[in-house]
Amino acid sequence: MRLHEYEALDIFEQNGIPVPRRGVAGSMHEALHVAGEIGYPVMLKAQVLVGGRGLAGGIKTASTPDELKEMAEELIGSEIKGLPVRKILVCEKVEVAKELYLGITVDGYSGKPVIVASTEGGMLIEETARTSPEKIAAIHIDPSFGYYPYLSRGLLKMLGLKQQLITAWTDVISQLYKVALRYEALISEINPLVVLPNGGLIAVDAVLEVDDSALSRIRFPLPDRVDRIENPIERRGREIGVSYVDLDGDIGLISSGAGLGMASMDIIGEKMKPANFLETGGGITADLLYRCMELIMMKPGLRGIFINVYGGINPIHEGAKGVVRYIKEHNVKIPIVAKALGNRQEETWEIFSSAGVHVVTEVATERAIDKLYEIVGGN
Amino acid sequence: MSILMNNSTRVIVQGITGRIGSTQTHWMLEYGTKVVGGVTPGKGGSTVEGLPVFDSVEEAVRETGANASVFFVPAAFVLDAFLETIDAGIKLIVIVPEHIPVNDVIRMRNYAIEKGVFALGPTTPGILVPGKGKMGIMPASLFAPGRVGIISRSGTLSYEFAGILSESRVGQSTVVGMGADPVVLRNLADILELFQEDEGTDGVIVVGEVGGEQEEKAAGFIARRMTKPVAAYITGRYSPQGKRMGHAGAIVRGSSGTVEGKHKALREAGVEVLESPIYVAQWAKKHNLK
Repeated sequence: MRLHEYEALDIFEQNGIPVPRRGVAGSMHEALHVAGEIGYPVMLKAQVLVGGRGLAGGIKTASTPDELKEMAEELIGSEIKGLPVRKILVCEKVEVAKELYLGITVDGYSGKPVIVASTEGGMLIEETARTSPEKIAAIHIDPSFGYYPYLSRGLLKMLGLKQQLITAWTDVISQLYKVALRYEALISEINPLVVLPNGGLIAVDAVLEVDDSALSRIRFPLPDRVDRIENPIERRGREIGVSYVDLDGDIGLISSGAGLGMASMDIIGEKMKPANFLETGGGITADLLYRCMELIMMKPGLRGIFINVYGGINPIHEGAKGVVRYIKEHNVKIPIVAKALGNRQEETWEIFSSAGVHVVTEVATERAIDKLYEIVGGN
Repeated sequence: MSILMNNSTRVIVQGITGRIGSTQTHWMLEYGTKVVGGVTPGKGGSTVEGLPVFDSVEEAVRETGANASVFFVPAAFVLDAFLETIDAGIKLIVIVPEHIPVNDVIRMRNYAIEKGVFALGPTTPGILVPGKGKMGIMPASLFAPGRVGIISRSGTLSYEFAGILSESRVGQSTVVGMGADPVVLRNLADILELFQEDEGTDGVIVVGEVGGEQEEKAAGFIARRMTKPVAAYITGRYSPQGKRMGHAGAIVRGSSGTVEGKHKALREAGVEVLESPIYVAQWAKKHNLK
């Protein structure tokens, strides 16, 4: 789960990381009020859960109330990379001597947490990592021993930063690591971490992504998880416990694994356009597939549906019963092709066929999608 | 011949008394796997599918001579049970469950590597040696004995590849699911090495997906060490990459794990990149794999 910047900044502050004075605003009047308390100039930052927000025009500086009014009205209610801006963060504009980058994440390949830092903070950090890798320093944390401050001191040396920063720098990294542990973070990041003219450090931005698999054991309060999903079908998918991603095509898809779902999308994408990605995971029941049908049918204008499931851990004959019940109750006329292989496949085929579903018994997904294409054609 | 499992593999099932654990034990036995018992703390003394159930892994090992374990344990209890299993001396562990916190997987991985234990997963369908046995959930009907090895990050796609090969009368030596999580217990290159050394394997298929850097790193190993033909399929070309925030992952890797990046690394290592699963049959024919 990704947190908004204003939520992450609150958490960083509670854990001792220096952050700017700020407030969240959902309207121009609220923004004006917050800015009045902080004092001008202020930064206005669109609160949308997407990277590259600055480059897309989501961050502005207002020097006067008139400027703020104009900018706040422009930002609130606009869209940044397709996401609606409901709130903006109004934030003290700090004086910048230098912008650093600091992030803690999990290095999937080595299976260890890693602290990454750079002297070149700001919007172009990924570019810097490619073109000037010497400006990036990374230190892995041994999971058996955890974090110790000497790692931060080592990073400071690697980056050639001034020794005067040593205390503030070590403190910020220690606190950020504490946040990463407490919130089971996949990413905790400060970009930029600003060096003030007086030599202090301040986190001008905050990124925090929490491990969904650990949500139930995190002991600190977190915002609601479903609430923040903007797309109503995706939100409903989260509620019933499947991964649904809304796309702009017209071929509905239900698959029983992420890899199989992605491969199905890749193959559908060659001649038709997928309307969605849907992966059930290993918990198929008749009820779940009934609800999956309901879910994909929320999207208007489907021309065809492709069901691609394997009976390994999943009882696919049960799943088929749910699909068939939905078809009969809702008198579905959209052509449906199903490929269902594995344990109890013959039984599954019979159930599907009883409701007019076209069953393909060959293994290659390509063949089943060819069949669907034969029926519905391209568009 | 095969990798990881052989005639002396004696398997216990952890979480054997659960709904999925007992069903899958049935399928594993039916496939000919030497399942010798199970563990569920608190259910010791009972039986499932005629097999003895123990309260601890240590007892199960002592009473049955087990040397391998497959997990159907709820995600929240996996770390604890995993450490117990390693301490009891088991050397091969398959973690089927999904949704295990990354911080737990990190601890599991490091302990397993420190103790010289070969572990697969989490979120893996397990291991299957066609006609011999399986640890995990792979649906037996799709596999046939032969000389092609398969390693897959995705469970369902491992079935698809094996099934397409079997339909074209090309069999498999061993099919291995390496797990779909961001951190897995063993990296791709470690499993490739086993196939390179296995006398029963003449060629290997890698089924990867967008994200991470397993395939890129494995490409280095393939270029240096693999003499057997390798084909790869990477799924996720049209997948929406989520609305990525934060840069730390991309900075560490120096790339964002794109399908194109993986294709390039693999091609440079001499791997044949398959544009779609269906082409795997032609690749096997071309190399005369059986």
